[in-house]
Amino acid sequence: MAGKVCLQPCLGLRKESVLCRQAFYVVHEDLRPDTTVLGCGPALNANVQEDVDFINTYPVIAVEACDKDCATKLVAKKGQRAARTLRVTEMAKALGIDLASLPEGQNIDTSDPAVQTLAAHLAGVVDEMLK
Amino acid sequence: MAEEFDFKVGVLACNGIGRLVSTITRMAGNRIKELRPNEVVLLSSGALIVKDSENLALFEKYPVLVIDGCRPHCASFLCDELGKKAAAKIYVADVMAENKINVGGEKRRGLTAKGEKLVEALAQKAVAEIDRLIADEMMSTL
Repeated sequence: MAGKVCLQPCLGLRKESVLCRQAFYVVHEDLRPDTTVLGCGPALNANVQEDVDFINTYPVIAVEACDKDCATKLVAKKGQRAARTLRVTEMAKALGIDLASLPEGQNIDTSDPAVQTLAAHLAGVVDEMLK
Repeated sequence: MAEEFDFKVGVLACNGIGRLVSTITRMAGNRIKELRPNEVVLLSSGALIVKDSENLALFEKYPVLVIDGCRPHCASFLCDELGKKAAAKIYVADVMAENKINVGGEKRRGLTAKGEKLVEALAQKAVAEIDRLIADEMMSTL
């Protein structure tokens, strides 16, 4: 395997999606810049080569904000299978993140403890996948 | 004015993650909903890509305003893929040029005043299109 993991968020509209997106920025830009790539769903759907290459080259962590599993289904639509599908709600519960306290319809700062906690967890998942 | 007639516009922003404009389109979607809460339905690109029935029904029911962030025009691609002609389209770079807004130095993870200025300009342009589309729909029924 190529030594990197593709982070594929669901990119929905609810706050769980925003939390996931922000956590992925922290993982990709701060915590694991050398071992992650950031997959853009609409670009993958539109066959943007970089994003197609990401899922064809690297194992994918799909993170879902709800049970529609859009990120996982998108990867399947493009002929690959996500190596891991993780749900924000389940991770939040396990990590003690209070989703009710997060704002709906706004950005969530990457310094927010909820973002940092989720990002640290996801960085650990990346490390585990690359062992 | 649309409230009593149930005329709405579906707003399909690319809502990507890869670039600064991804954040701009997402934040603009929120702002548009703030400005026209009863006239706008925000459509989820992620859900539409996999043909989620709830989102697809809204997409099919209302005229759609497409907001594209970057050059691949992924929201337009999605609209085409789903077989619908957009009622209106906005491309973020056009709004930048029209308003002479420079967002150099802005970060996709969070915007400062410069980025928020572009969000506001984009939202205002979108709202003008939404008002026009609703007026057009309404007039067609009278």
